[in-house]
Amino acid sequence: MSDPTTPKIIARLENVSYMYPRSPNLVLTNISLEIHQGEFLGIIGPTGAGKTTLCLALNGIVPQFYGGRFFGSVHIAGLDTLEHKISAVASHVGEVFEDPETQLISTSVENEVAFALENLLIPRDEIMARIPRALAAVRLEGMEKKHPAELSGGQKQRLAIASALAIQPDMLVLDEPTSQLDPVGSQEVFATVRELNQTLGMTIVMASHASEEMAEYTNRILLLSRGEQVAIGSPDDIYSQIELLIRNDLRPPQVASTFYSICQRSGYHGKIPVKMRDGVTELKRVRQQVQVTPPENLSQAIPHSGEPLISVKDLKHVYPDGTEALHGITLNIYEGEYILIIGQNGAGKSTLVKHFLNLLKPTQGVVEVGGANTEQLSVSELARRIGYVAQNPDTQIFNATVGEEVSFALNNLGFPADEVERRTVEGLESMGLLEARHQHPLSLPKGDRARVVIAAILAMKPEIIIFDEPTTGQDYRGARYILDISRELHKMGKTVIVITHHLYLMPDYAERVLVMGKGTLLLDAPIREAFHAVDLLKSTYLTPPQAVLLTQELSQLEGRPLPALLTPDELAGVFA
Amino acid sequence: MLKFQTVERDSFYTRLDFRPKLLMMAIITVIAFIWESPFMQFWLAAIILAAALTAGVKPSYIRLVITVMIPFYILLLVTHGFFNIDQVKALTGKSTLTPLFTIPEDWWLIGGAVMSREGFAYGLNVIFKTLTLTLIIPLGVFTTDVDTMTVGMVRARIPYKIAFIFTATLRFFPLLFQEIGTIIEAQRLRGLAMEKMGPVKRVRVYAKVAVPLILGAMVKSQHLEVVLQSKAFSGSAIRTYLHESVLHTIDYVLMVFMILLFITAIVLYIVYGIGTFAGPI
Repeated sequence: MSDPTTPKIIARLENVSYMYPRSPNLVLTNISLEIHQGEFLGIIGPTGAGKTTLCLALNGIVPQFYGGRFFGSVHIAGLDTLEHKISAVASHVGEVFEDPETQLISTSVENEVAFALENLLIPRDEIMARIPRALAAVRLEGMEKKHPAELSGGQKQRLAIASALAIQPDMLVLDEPTSQLDPVGSQEVFATVRELNQTLGMTIVMASHASEEMAEYTNRILLLSRGEQVAIGSPDDIYSQIELLIRNDLRPPQVASTFYSICQRSGYHGKIPVKMRDGVTELKRVRQQVQVTPPENLSQAIPHSGEPLISVKDLKHVYPDGTEALHGITLNIYEGEYILIIGQNGAGKSTLVKHFLNLLKPTQGVVEVGGANTEQLSVSELARRIGYVAQNPDTQIFNATVGEEVSFALNNLGFPADEVERRTVEGLESMGLLEARHQHPLSLPKGDRARVVIAAILAMKPEIIIFDEPTTGQDYRGARYILDISRELHKMGKTVIVITHHLYLMPDYAERVLVMGKGTLLLDAPIREAFHAVDLLKSTYLTPPQAVLLTQELSQLEGRPLPALLTPDELAGVFA
Repeated sequence: MLKFQTVERDSFYTRLDFRPKLLMMAIITVIAFIWESPFMQFWLAAIILAAALTAGVKPSYIRLVITVMIPFYILLLVTHGFFNIDQVKALTGKSTLTPLFTIPEDWWLIGGAVMSREGFAYGLNVIFKTLTLTLIIPLGVFTTDVDTMTVGMVRARIPYKIAFIFTATLRFFPLLFQEIGTIIEAQRLRGLAMEKMGPVKRVRVYAKVAVPLILGAMVKSQHLEVVLQSKAFSGSAIRTYLHESVLHTIDYVLMVFMILLFITAIVLYIVYGIGTFAGPI
């Protein structure tokens, strides 16, 4: 007889190994796991660790839909996923995927919620009763008749959750549900999932790279690497093992990195907290044992001056549908700067940058590049001076070989053949792609495809390079990889502009920050000042890095202002 | 964002079930195909046009359709007026056609060509025919809610998979257009000066758009398949529906009317020649 105090097992995986068709390698190796009713299990691991495959194994799509070789067994609510149809398992497992666009298939919100229920032959009256309940659970009431295209990213993901909830599953599986979202959308999804878990007791399985949130909300963490179960335990157990995380290309929560670094530097032997509130408590303890010595020489951004490379004067933009996207923006960008632009979706970041390239024309005001009004220049003329790297490299690849891709712009711009060849080779060499010159760009891994696009842009020798959300959808290693390239370009003398929501990644790179909100420039300041404008950042739903928040806590505890520290290492340095 | 067109006005047409509308579209299409009389075709097109405007189909949409079709209509008038001689002679039983005007002999290549009144009339017949066919679709489709349309199609025994493809297309078309815009923008940012290009070069640019677009669509379609699987989709018509498709008296009245119209049109065509090219009217 089962122990009534032990929560019911919802999913049981026994020695699960799996190999996709035509693949020589195992994607999952000997995974054994039990998932209990009401728990919130987080799955972490770098790209290629097998997180998505594991999520798909939980409703039988792996292996039933993909085929391939499957070993072991998965039981969901007592059903063997090999012996029961996917549709039978689907009534026990609600799945939410990464991309908010491709997982919504209906033409209205209510249809989206009803779709799976219709497939499961739920009577119409029951469907009509479940729709408002599911929408209320994700706070989308009143939106029944809206087209999914009219929803924001966060609302789309919440709708996907509502659709999964409507089937009244035993377990909700979410695969990277926030990786494509801005901070508001991400907060909406995490808040919704936490509420479902804590209020309704819904069993949650979520794969995510969002370390701080996973440490905060989950009960248990499974660490996967190359398909293998490396570790499983409480968030405190897993996220405090910094070396293990780094070895597996994972980013620890900054609060954990900070205290790890403090222990390393000061010989302090306290515990390593993984949640912000525990970090604050631990901070009080550590300052009682180790003296706080503020650093004397912090790196400071050197102010640039002279003739601006880009000058924006009183820029206003109104879209044809009447949306006022920018209201009187004025700023100058100087040669050699590394600028970070942050703000919510709809804050006007991309609209601003598109004016630099004449992809959008000012409704009012002037934008000048190198002293010339952009309205007088064609997009192709401006492209010689400003390189633009969009988020998804795959929409920027049109040619059959890496070499042709890099020379594409040079041919368009009418360079002579010998110059095209010289610049193509230079571009390929700078990105370490010379050996891949004759390969198809799409045969390369995603990180390398991004390098192909960057090489193609570098071949035009632009003075300014804009990276538009380069870290979205990337794991920690992928994001650092692209940002490291941006730093190299900056060192080469290029002016670099990066748009990203991932503030915690940027202290090692950016010098100056433009904070945008609702079409206005809320703040234009050096990074130390901008990241410590915590109230302003929070007012526009941006989350400052935990190292910044801990520095401010420490200042309060010390009763004196501390320098504007940005990273775990800098903060740990005051306890050295 | 591109959205599926629907009329905003509540009317007789919006209150109808999709099934009588499907029948109406089918019968009007068949009649338009059968008739060859420009007079009858004109009135059929005029009635459908009036019905579409009454139903709330936007005049700007109709203007757009006609504007797009104008070059095609001119081509139809020229080819039928000048060159459709044998068919028109056979249809009218005349051995010589009535000249409308003749191109001067000294014009290069086409000098001496004669536009016949009968050929011109036949061209008008084809123009009104195509106009009817292009207007009957918005009349039936734009006046129906997409959800009701899907259920109506299934109830009309159209396989559910086809009905699903129809609605999924409406969902994903805007995404596809968005992606085309992104790709062309990326090409412009790599020095492609579209504004300075002739039509042939532009076509070559669009061909290059196809590569990332098709690959992106393939990736999306695989994601979609996985999503559908997770939502217990099997393509089977054995499923329940949130939306209902119920036939009311007015729907039966329209269906009976359309069937009677069809029978009458066929009888008049065969027995009295009404609707034929050389018929009494």
